[in-house]
Amino acid sequence: MSITMGQGILIAIWAMIAGLDCWLQAFFIFRPIIVCTITGLILGDLQLGVIAGGLTELAFAGLTPAGGTQPPNTVLCGIMTVVIAKANGTAPATAIGLSLPFAMLMQYILLLFYSSFSLFMSKFDKYAAEGNAKAFKRLNFVPLTIVTLSFGIVAFLSAYAAQGPMHTLVTSMPQWLTHGFEIAGGILPAVGFAMLLKVMLKPQYFPYLLLGFVMSSMIPFSNVLPVALVGAVFAMIEYFRTSETNELRTEIKGLKDSSNSGGGYNDGI
Amino acid sequence: MASNNTVEKKNTGKRKSLFTNHEISMLGIRSNLVQASFSYERMHAPGWTWAQLPYWEKIYKGDKDGLKRVMTDNMEFINSSPPLYPILMGLLLTMEEDHVDPTTIKGLKNALFGPMAGIGDAIFWFTIMPIVGGISASIAKNGNVFGPILFFLVYLFLFWSRIPLAHLGYNLGTRAIDVIEDNSKVISHVASILGLTVIGGLIASYVTMKLTITIGAGGNSAISLQKDLFDKIFPNILPFAFVFFLYWLLKKNINPLWLIVITFVLAIGMSFIGWM
Repeated sequence: MSITMGQGILIAIWAMIAGLDCWLQAFFIFRPIIVCTITGLILGDLQLGVIAGGLTELAFAGLTPAGGTQPPNTVLCGIMTVVIAKANGTAPATAIGLSLPFAMLMQYILLLFYSSFSLFMSKFDKYAAEGNAKAFKRLNFVPLTIVTLSFGIVAFLSAYAAQGPMHTLVTSMPQWLTHGFEIAGGILPAVGFAMLLKVMLKPQYFPYLLLGFVMSSMIPFSNVLPVALVGAVFAMIEYFRTSETNELRTEIKGLKDSSNSGGGYNDGI
Repeated sequence: MASNNTVEKKNTGKRKSLFTNHEISMLGIRSNLVQASFSYERMHAPGWTWAQLPYWEKIYKGDKDGLKRVMTDNMEFINSSPPLYPILMGLLLTMEEDHVDPTTIKGLKNALFGPMAGIGDAIFWFTIMPIVGGISASIAKNGNVFGPILFFLVYLFLFWSRIPLAHLGYNLGTRAIDVIEDNSKVISHVASILGLTVIGGLIASYVTMKLTITIGAGGNSAISLQKDLFDKIFPNILPFAFVFFLYWLLKKNINPLWLIVITFVLAIGMSFIGWM
């Protein structure tokens, strides 16, 4: 099926709403699981949207803006995964790979905004120095409008205007290439997890990583909730132990101070 | 620098609040505006100022210089964890309301936003996101609409949690500093434990790498490398090894974009030679 003009416009409107949320990070409806579901609803295939949402969310699980890098944009990736899967009948896992160029395009547009919006700062400074609250508030709407509109335009062009070339590309792809994209969709979560590990992994936490990994590998269950619960148990144990250690430490410190012995106290963690 | 405010300092034992309960709740909602004019130069500064502007207008009513001063002070660089901003805003608002020395307020703001970014990222991006995303995605993957609904509800709850956080910051006032300092270390420690356990589980469950290649002459003597070897000795060894390969690349300061490229080249290559 092809995307109609009406659907294209609805997608653009949805992209603006989700894009604004992506910029402000208020409701988190910019995550693929929500974006895909709503896009599926617009295209009249909720089931496909939900499935694609689950797969894309996993692929983006660790690709977070925290830690200093702006990842490929989740709004465009979510929209295009569903659009490509629906319009060309490709498997959602394959469609994730094909939607990535669009997600990266939006990522670069946002990076451009992050740099160029510095130009507004002198204006903000001026209004602040004048105590001009009204103008200050108004000026904030300019970047917001630019961001929102560009999400709408990029999504409309990607989903509606580019569907012809996209269809030719997808149908002319040899089987090994489509299958390759599907495999890549399955491996992609690894990138996000590696990025999470880069920020979080310290030697003392490695046992917990291994614990979760071994549990999931050996015990069959349908989602990660049991692992999360076991993790919570260890977190609680550690919480109470740390508070106990802290109390002990202050006690020792108190004793040391009262006996008037010099030298700092070194903890052995 | 002496502040030339005309309002008398309040030294009464019990604080009389200038703001209603509703206004403090709105501060929590308005804290969503911090990223409105995000740029690399000042990060959250313009949005941070915008969110609190109505409150300062009320405090510095008829004191234009005070308003100028507070706006200029807050246009300085700030970058913290967005969901925790309500605490910081509430805390600084009490101080602003009590006309504490501006240098103290500024110093405190600069001292707190960094550590708070650390706690916030540990809680919201590295613990809640993998858990909620992982669980709801595993439900959605099978076409169950409850997956996205669950995700939406959890984040809706987190959105509303900004309101109690704003009240917490405002009511605790400077006492909030002790709470933040005492707990920041233990919270990020405990969040790391929970987060990493879940990430370990997610690696095993959701990174799919299975070899289809068989060794041997074919027929009955053929051995499937995946089913007969890896799955029996160490299931999911490939995903685990690949994640750590990527981790190693990241530690070498390779751009994350290259990791995506490597993943695609590997997958398409494996598909081409028929190993996966």
